[in-house]
Amino acid sequence: MFDNIIGGFSSILAVGPILGIIAGIFVGIIFGAIPGISAIMAIAIILPLTFYVDPIIGITMLLAVYKAGIYGGSISAILINTPGAAASFLTAQDGNALTKQGKAGKALDISLFSSVTGEALATLVLIFVAAPISVISLQAGPIEKVFLLLFAFTVIGSLAGESIPRGLLSCVLGMLFAMVGLSTITGASRFTFGVTELMAGFTFTPMLIGILVMPEVISTIRLRHKPHHDLALSKSANPDDNRINFKEFRSVFRTILKSTGIGTFVGALPGLGSSTAAFMAYGEAKRTSKTPEKFGKGSVEGIAAAESANNAVCGSSLIPMLTLSIPGDDVAALLMGAFLIHGLTPGPLIFFEHTETIYAIFAGFLLTDLFLLFIARSGFGFFTRVASLKRHFIFPCVTIFAFAGAFTAGQNMNDVLILIVFTIIGYGMRLVGLNPAVFIIGFILTPFLEQNLDQAIAIVGTDYHLFFASPFSWVFIALSIFFVYSSMRMKKKSSSILASTLEKTIDQKGGAQ
Amino acid sequence: MDRRKVDVVISAILIIVSLIILTNDSLSEGGVETDLGSMFLPRIVACFIIVFSAVIGIQSLLKLSKKARMEDIEKIDLTGFMGVNIYIGTFIFYWFLVPYVGFLLVTPFVMFAIAYLLGGRSWFAMTAVSIITPVLVFYGSSHFLRVFLPTWSLS
Repeated sequence: MFDNIIGGFSSILAVGPILGIIAGIFVGIIFGAIPGISAIMAIAIILPLTFYVDPIIGITMLLAVYKAGIYGGSISAILINTPGAAASFLTAQDGNALTKQGKAGKALDISLFSSVTGEALATLVLIFVAAPISVISLQAGPIEKVFLLLFAFTVIGSLAGESIPRGLLSCVLGMLFAMVGLSTITGASRFTFGVTELMAGFTFTPMLIGILVMPEVISTIRLRHKPHHDLALSKSANPDDNRINFKEFRSVFRTILKSTGIGTFVGALPGLGSSTAAFMAYGEAKRTSKTPEKFGKGSVEGIAAAESANNAVCGSSLIPMLTLSIPGDDVAALLMGAFLIHGLTPGPLIFFEHTETIYAIFAGFLLTDLFLLFIARSGFGFFTRVASLKRHFIFPCVTIFAFAGAFTAGQNMNDVLILIVFTIIGYGMRLVGLNPAVFIIGFILTPFLEQNLDQAIAIVGTDYHLFFASPFSWVFIALSIFFVYSSMRMKKKSSSILASTLEKTIDQKGGAQ
Repeated sequence: MDRRKVDVVISAILIIVSLIILTNDSLSEGGVETDLGSMFLPRIVACFIIVFSAVIGIQSLLKLSKKARMEDIEKIDLTGFMGVNIYIGTFIFYWFLVPYVGFLLVTPFVMFAIAYLLGGRSWFAMTAVSIITPVLVFYGSSHFLRVFLPTWSLS
């Protein structure tokens, strides 16, 4: 393994990959810092640009956009209390409180240091854990893979949706759309209705941009009358308020380590994502803190916990994707698409078939952390100025990039039509509470399910009981039931808490009147 | 707008579509014979769509019939939807025009229109961005990516 890691570093330490990483970091921080644009949007827009470069450059650039984008979200969260992503909600609470106290520099510093530490440690876990897991998962045959994929669908659908039926419906709709076009197993054309353009199915990139990116643009257009907030980095007269010193960093280092552990664990489980990790780590940090009363009112420890946990998810969310072909969240699904476009099929075989590439990508991951630290630290002022651009300059450009990106996929206008159709579908899904990310995961994983199901049927023939002969089948069935049950309990509990809070508020208002 | 009513309508549509998938054999054409057949997985998926749509639809229908209090999550806010319609209309018009008029000629107008829709009134800067961005995208994609965006082709 160490030879592979060293080989990875020798591949990544070239002009192309390094320029790709630097460009990715700039794009990621800027896009992440602009309110209304998320990391996933940045990756989807940059994705078509990477089609024509080497996979090592392309994938590392996308991963740099991802990591920097997650960090960039904390800039707008801290400066104007507008989290770029749900995961930055807690950072916004404490970060903005510090900004109001004139300590924006300190908040940005701790956010950066904990983000980079969390990311780097999670990346190390990814590097050392992924390959051994892939060796174990290689033992799985088609029957086990069918149950594994069904488990993934159930877990992601039930945990990520607004409600369990809505999450699962999003997943099965994605599966249905994946079956349009020529069947890879039988060669039959399905749901094409005689339209030859549909024979190849829906092109992935325009569909992805339409489902995940364009609804954000539409949301901005809908809320266009809301006033624009300029990002501004104010400096305090006291230099200690503008930076974090080593003593302060050391005092929160234990929190960072613990939160990174939580983030890494949550990220490795499919369906939970960075918001869950941030909330869990923040809760744990508050519980064990010596100054829990400061949380929510400008706690450096709170920012450190939330940021290290949500950034640790970046690395560990790739563990299920690279070892089991299961993208854990929307960004991992998008990255899985990028891997497939570059001819790399995520799964245990990737470590044997593309050893040099995958370890170069891992090395790129670590290098990204290093560059992110230096670029972000030296350019706070620059990034806040660029991210302050008015939305009437940003969103027309995003529209054109989306158009060009969709066209780039197949160099025809039909792909742009797919973009428009899926923009409407994606926005409609959000309105009715369906989850577009789960839809995409269903879309990506269905061809794998169909292929493995076909092979499994060929193995068992008419002895269907053989499907349940492997202990793995029972383990995955039990896990699926457990996750659905625990998800139901979790949702019931959160809705009862919400209801009691509402009742209390109504009572208080009644009392006041 | 009450999302529960939308749920009922969408659930009904999805159930009808799924029933068509379950009963219509002409949705798949050609292909070789296999143990499973081409429509096995689509039909399994259709069964699940029926189940989940029915659950969502029935829940919403029950809430509507009981006249239960609408939660925040069940309200669809239609504020600003005129702008959304204009944006989608502009995009469809753009898609229609680009193959004939060309990317470089249509895009500045589309960008300017979207900027105006978003409340932009700084005419000089908007014009500059609307002209420079398409030029950069057009030449960047043709030189670096070898992707040739549509050009004027009325002749």
